[in-house]
Amino acid sequence: MRSFTPKALFSLAAVGVLALSACGEAPEEEPEEDDAAAEENGEAQADDNSDFTACLVSDAGGWDDQSFNESAFTGLQNAIEDFGIESATAESSSDSDFGPNVDAMVQQGCDLTFGVGFLLEDAIDEAAQENPDLSFGIIDSTLPSEPDNGKPLVFNTSEAAYLAGYVAASMSETDTVATFGGIQIPSVTVFMDGFADGVDRFNEDNDADVSLLGWDKEAQDGSFSGDFDDQSAGRALTEQFLAQDADIIMPVAGPVGLGAAGAIEDDGDAKLIWVDTDGYESTDYGDIILTSVLKQIAQAVYDTVEEGAAGEFTAEPYVGDLENEGVGLAPFHDFEDEVPDEVKDKIEELTAEIISGETVVESENAPQ
Amino acid sequence: MSTEKKNNDDAPAAPGGALKEAESRLHYAVRELSQSSWVITLLSVVVALVVGALLILATNPQVQATTGYFFAQPGDFFLTSFEVIRDAYSALFRGAVYDWQAATPDRAIRPITETLVNAVPLILAGLGIAIGFRSGMLNIGGQGQIILGATCAAFIGYAFNLPVGAHLLLALVGGALGGAIWGGIAGVLKAKTGANEVIVTIMLNNIALYLLAWLLRQQWFVQTGSNQPIAAPVEDSARLFGLLGTGFRLHAGILLAIAATVFVWWLLERSTLGFEFRAIGENPDAARTAGINVPKATALVLIIGGGLCGLGGAAHLLGTEYRLGAGIAGTLGFDAITVALLGRSKPLGTFLAGVLFGGLRAGGVLMQAQTGTPIDIVLVLQSVIVLLIAAPPLVRAIFFLPNPDGTAKSPRRRRLKDQQAAEAAQEPAPTQEVTK
Amino acid sequence: MKLQLKGVTKRFGTFTANDRIDLTVQPGEIHALLGENGAGKSTLMNTIYGLYSPEEGEILLDDKLVTFNGPGDAVEAGIGMVHQHFMLIPVFSVTESVMLGYEPTRKAGIIDFAEARRRVQEISARFGFDVDPDAMIEDLPVGAQQRVEIIKALSRDAKVLILDEPTAVLTPQETDELITIMRQLRESGTSIVFITHKLREVRAIADKITVIRRGKIVGQALPESTETELASLMVGREVNLTTQKEPAEPGDIGFSVKDLTVLSGAGKVVLDNVNLDIARGEILCVAGVDGNGQTELAEAIVGLRSAVAGTITLDGTNLRRMNVKERLNSGIGFVPEDRSTDGVIPGFTVTENFVLDQYDQQPYSNGVAMKPSVMREAAVQQISRFDVRLGTVDDPISTLSGGNQQKVVLAREMSRDIRFFLASQPTRGLDVGSIEFVHRTIIEERDKGTPCLIVSTELDEVSNLADRIAVMYRGVVVGVVPGDTDRDVLGLMMAGVPVEEAYAQAKDHHTILGEADEEAQT
Repeated sequence: MRSFTPKALFSLAAVGVLALSACGEAPEEEPEEDDAAAEENGEAQADDNSDFTACLVSDAGGWDDQSFNESAFTGLQNAIEDFGIESATAESSSDSDFGPNVDAMVQQGCDLTFGVGFLLEDAIDEAAQENPDLSFGIIDSTLPSEPDNGKPLVFNTSEAAYLAGYVAASMSETDTVATFGGIQIPSVTVFMDGFADGVDRFNEDNDADVSLLGWDKEAQDGSFSGDFDDQSAGRALTEQFLAQDADIIMPVAGPVGLGAAGAIEDDGDAKLIWVDTDGYESTDYGDIILTSVLKQIAQAVYDTVEEGAAGEFTAEPYVGDLENEGVGLAPFHDFEDEVPDEVKDKIEELTAEIISGETVVESENAPQ
Repeated sequence: MSTEKKNNDDAPAAPGGALKEAESRLHYAVRELSQSSWVITLLSVVVALVVGALLILATNPQVQATTGYFFAQPGDFFLTSFEVIRDAYSALFRGAVYDWQAATPDRAIRPITETLVNAVPLILAGLGIAIGFRSGMLNIGGQGQIILGATCAAFIGYAFNLPVGAHLLLALVGGALGGAIWGGIAGVLKAKTGANEVIVTIMLNNIALYLLAWLLRQQWFVQTGSNQPIAAPVEDSARLFGLLGTGFRLHAGILLAIAATVFVWWLLERSTLGFEFRAIGENPDAARTAGINVPKATALVLIIGGGLCGLGGAAHLLGTEYRLGAGIAGTLGFDAITVALLGRSKPLGTFLAGVLFGGLRAGGVLMQAQTGTPIDIVLVLQSVIVLLIAAPPLVRAIFFLPNPDGTAKSPRRRRLKDQQAAEAAQEPAPTQEVTK
Repeated sequence: MKLQLKGVTKRFGTFTANDRIDLTVQPGEIHALLGENGAGKSTLMNTIYGLYSPEEGEILLDDKLVTFNGPGDAVEAGIGMVHQHFMLIPVFSVTESVMLGYEPTRKAGIIDFAEARRRVQEISARFGFDVDPDAMIEDLPVGAQQRVEIIKALSRDAKVLILDEPTAVLTPQETDELITIMRQLRESGTSIVFITHKLREVRAIADKITVIRRGKIVGQALPESTETELASLMVGREVNLTTQKEPAEPGDIGFSVKDLTVLSGAGKVVLDNVNLDIARGEILCVAGVDGNGQTELAEAIVGLRSAVAGTITLDGTNLRRMNVKERLNSGIGFVPEDRSTDGVIPGFTVTENFVLDQYDQQPYSNGVAMKPSVMREAAVQQISRFDVRLGTVDDPISTLSGGNQQKVVLAREMSRDIRFFLASQPTRGLDVGSIEFVHRTIIEERDKGTPCLIVSTELDEVSNLADRIAVMYRGVVVGVVPGDTDRDVLGLMMAGVPVEEAYAQAKDHHTILGEADEEAQT
């Protein structure tokens, strides 16, 4: 024990750090003001909104969840860059952190505070009622008391998933496609409802018989991996689907989808449909991703912050749909050439139908 | 010179031998932990804060910037480091105890009440776990017992309509009962079949988690009319009432925690049942020989421990959360194990450890919000504290404390040590024995 | 070979187990090392055998300084050791056991099994050991297993043989055979160091006796010394080896066991139709080699094992269907065999151990809450009566010596209102002073009119206490004989020989120890 004193340990670590990086030069000019000023130095071109603070509280997933927390965080970062606002963020490590974290944001003097995920709706709702002069946003949910200073940001992803379902059905060589979710909650099953309807639409229009595994819209029952973390569960489910001849699979389970991607890559023939972000860019599996169902959380957060900074915040719910491009289908990227033009045309046609209201994608899980 | 007990033929090459051994080593480790001294505990907290400080420095972008030109202006590095750590830890303190920068006097004292709010479920569940540890049982099932407690309390809380006092009482009792049943399953299995309680309770954690997930999808259960897997809020009449008025979350659960602490002390130190618990924990063979009904006591330990964990879950739900979601237990069940270990399985120790962890949690919120220090640092602090308590020699080496084997220690310790040495002297080197 | 120790000191922490030991063992000498449990005998031998390295001092073999870094070095130098607990593997044959670790090999590392077998035969023929080289260890009686250990040492050319408490597990007849072997070895020039705390054996076998007390050599003695002299040297004060007791005045039968049959967990019969009657005011000792059902008998009586058949009657009540607590409450006082496992809870205070089986009874509790002050007061009072040396009754019992722990157990059991006293190995591991005390206490209990059943494998203890002796062999009571029965007879019975035959055989064949006894008496 003696030969391994903390002093020795510390000096060892210190030497390591120094050797690696300590030989740089001091900055020519010391920042004169505090750190906030220093940050602003490099962003002189941005609008100066430093009297406006936008804040974000995650759910237990954290900022690196490759799903909606991360998207919201990206939206806020973009807003900081473009508008020069102040910000604060808090990650929740468990459900009981929601209240204290939102409260901490309020105490920090946040003008606009977002809660990410339906689990935060109570915490945000309460804070909104207690602080009528501050603004709040809730992503993927609505606020029970519908306060004047609380804005729900919801996404009618069933519309985009409908298009994805149609594409999947038309591209399937085995006439079998599949989907599964992380946990059976509305913000997940809304994708699956739309996907199911899209597949049905293809069957109807083409008198085809493409079957869907993993979700029964009527019964509201299907396959779920159980959480949003366990990639091996996603892999196992996907291998099941592949064994049942499915060749296009849409996991709606955040990082669990990466397990599905791994299984599909091993399979060689099947394809993946990613959700939330454009998987071609956000994951390493671009070459197997047929397309992605986009849910533009980042854009919605960005827009809401912009309104807030400009003093134009309203409690009017933001509902992302095909019309306002809050949801949509990502480009086909590597599969651009493989997808026949008639399918592409049909997608545009369907998009127009949905926007015009001619076709209504119904889902009991869609935001009301 | 002990001769082998001559019932070798009873257990011819017991198939569970390796497991049994692992189990007894676990028990030994827990006992060791529970006997570490207060000094070690305090010093562990100090070391953890130092380790936390190093991590804060390592992850702080401003400090990283100054290391880039360390040789050019070393002063920068040290000044920045100092400021970063000062800010982080003062935020931790302000978030946990007293916020001198707060806008109003109410907000200034609010942190300590938040600490207590966080501490309530930790103390209650920690006591439940501690009873198990004192009785030689490693109840890893706090998580499941908390979930069951919260679930029962919540359902009673929103599904029934009862007068004010009775509703709360019924919800609390229901919560305790839920935890007790969950703990009791493990207890009865261990008592009747000798099943390893560690394995059973871990499995019951998973079952509880999925049971709750299933329940939250049943409309008869959640009673919200929405598809979200979250139950209706409990009625006001079933909520643990606030103690300090609006602006504070501190609720009557803290009184419950204090009462439970006193009760557990009485149970373990003054009651005949607690005597049995401790006896089977220290030496089940001697307990059996003295006529104690070991299986019955074993089952009761886990029933009562589970009941306390369930009460913790109920108090958490009825006092702060009000709505039952899949994440209701968070990491409470596992934190409770740490709290019980840190509190050396003593009631007062567990209470204080619960307050400490509650404070770290409350302070972590402010630290993250104001200084951007990741909340994970708090988890690291908790873990390092327990790690160091588990390795007293390390702490002694860091602070150059004498080894208890050495000379500078209390006479009782020396006497103990001498006797151990004498025994070692009597005993030849580890010997294998031959049965005939 | 001559073995010489000069100033050997071994410490464990602050505890000095061996303090400047000087010892010389001449070639062809049987040198007894006599001392109480914990005096430091085993430590010293383990030091010689290379298991411990001494802090100070020198070991010389034939006047040459040696240092051992492990038993391997010691064996190499010609030292052999037979441990008290044999280090044999049950499923190995004798030959395999002997060559284990020192396998004779032919070219290319192939084990020369034939050579090993030949060596075993050769050694066993030379000393008349009568050991089959192909027998399995587990099939051999304890005495034969010990011979295998000796062969093992000799096969490695041991010139100094250390025997650690070699008679602890043997019947008197087996002890006799061991003595013969030791004498043969001495004739062939082997030096023997013989560790024991049994005075009779020392006097009968040893050429020279060194007495060790509390880690120090306190004197040399010759075999001609009386047992009392040796005991006084060993303990450091005058001791009475035999407890004075009045002849028993047995009353009517207070406790009896009828047709008691007990199976082991594996379904083997460990107690076979055992019948015992014990009168009030009488001590019945159960003698036998360890492992012949005595432990099971005690456990079955107190309820720790369930009997498949038979009755256990105390004052006319059949206890068989009762649980342990009910049996204890109906008046059984029980001192278990393994004190540290079954008798006390080491982490509990002396007080708590004192009430261990009465914690839920009046006056110590009202059934729900305990009354610490009452408990403490009773503990202080009773414990002073039993002469327990301790700091306070609030200290953990693990801070007490074994003897004092046992006194606490006795105080606990005897301060209750008991109608039957049962003790298993009541003095195992105790010092002579404590043994004296325990024996006196048991006799006092008898004189109060309590029937007493004492299970013991120590014949000294049995002769000392017993009014009658029941000898057990393989779960069966071979016979019940008077308390003053000749040890040779008991020894034969312990090997399963029926009573009458045992008397007849013992008349013809006196054991060496038996003869020594007779000489001492005349």
